[in-house]
Amino acid sequence: MKNKLKVLRAEHNWTQADLANRLKVARQTINALEKGKFDPSLPLAFKAARLFKMTIEEIFEDS
Amino acid sequence: MGKFEEDCERKGLVAVDIRNAIIVNFWLLAWAVSLGVISYFLESDWSFPTWIQWMGFIIHLIIGVGAILAFKRFVSKADELERKIQLEALALSVGVTIIFFSSYAILQKALEIADLSPAYLIVVMSLGYVMGLIVGRLRFR
Repeated sequence: MKNKLKVLRAEHNWTQADLANRLKVARQTINALEKGKFDPSLPLAFKAARLFKMTIEEIFEDS
Repeated sequence: MGKFEEDCERKGLVAVDIRNAIIVNFWLLAWAVSLGVISYFLESDWSFPTWIQWMGFIIHLIIGVGAILAFKRFVSKADELERKIQLEALALSVGVTIIFFSSYAILQKALEIADLSPAYLIVVMSLGYVMGLIVGRLRFR
């Protein structure tokens, strides 16, 4: 699954660890998500959407 | 925020995962020690009353149940990538053990080789689990 997490994170000047702390996950999880190696659960996708004030579809897209 | 949480944050880890993993390690260590100590004394020349042997059995069983519950808690509360890695490692561990033992059973009938000690069950399961963890960590690195 493709996503815009890396771009959004860069726009906020956050490191992977910063984003991980805000989403309450491990930094490795953010890394795997950004590389498209791991698909988030629905609760995590909602949490990311709330954090960036966007919809889930705007952040994640089915590839 | 405590020092432990700060250290975890700096290393990009989730503090609750580390805490739960430490608890699991404590239970597993206690389980291994109880297995070793109780087995050693039961196999030694000392003769113990039956009630003490039963106590040893019950203590080992209780520690084992504690380890299972601690591991279940660790997996259910874990960061979702960690949970996926753990579950895939467990699946690999169970699969490898079943295939290893069923294959050995066939070999045993065909070649009339020695019985496999139950201790190998723990060894094969552990190796399968560790292999699964390594593969998972490398895959999602």
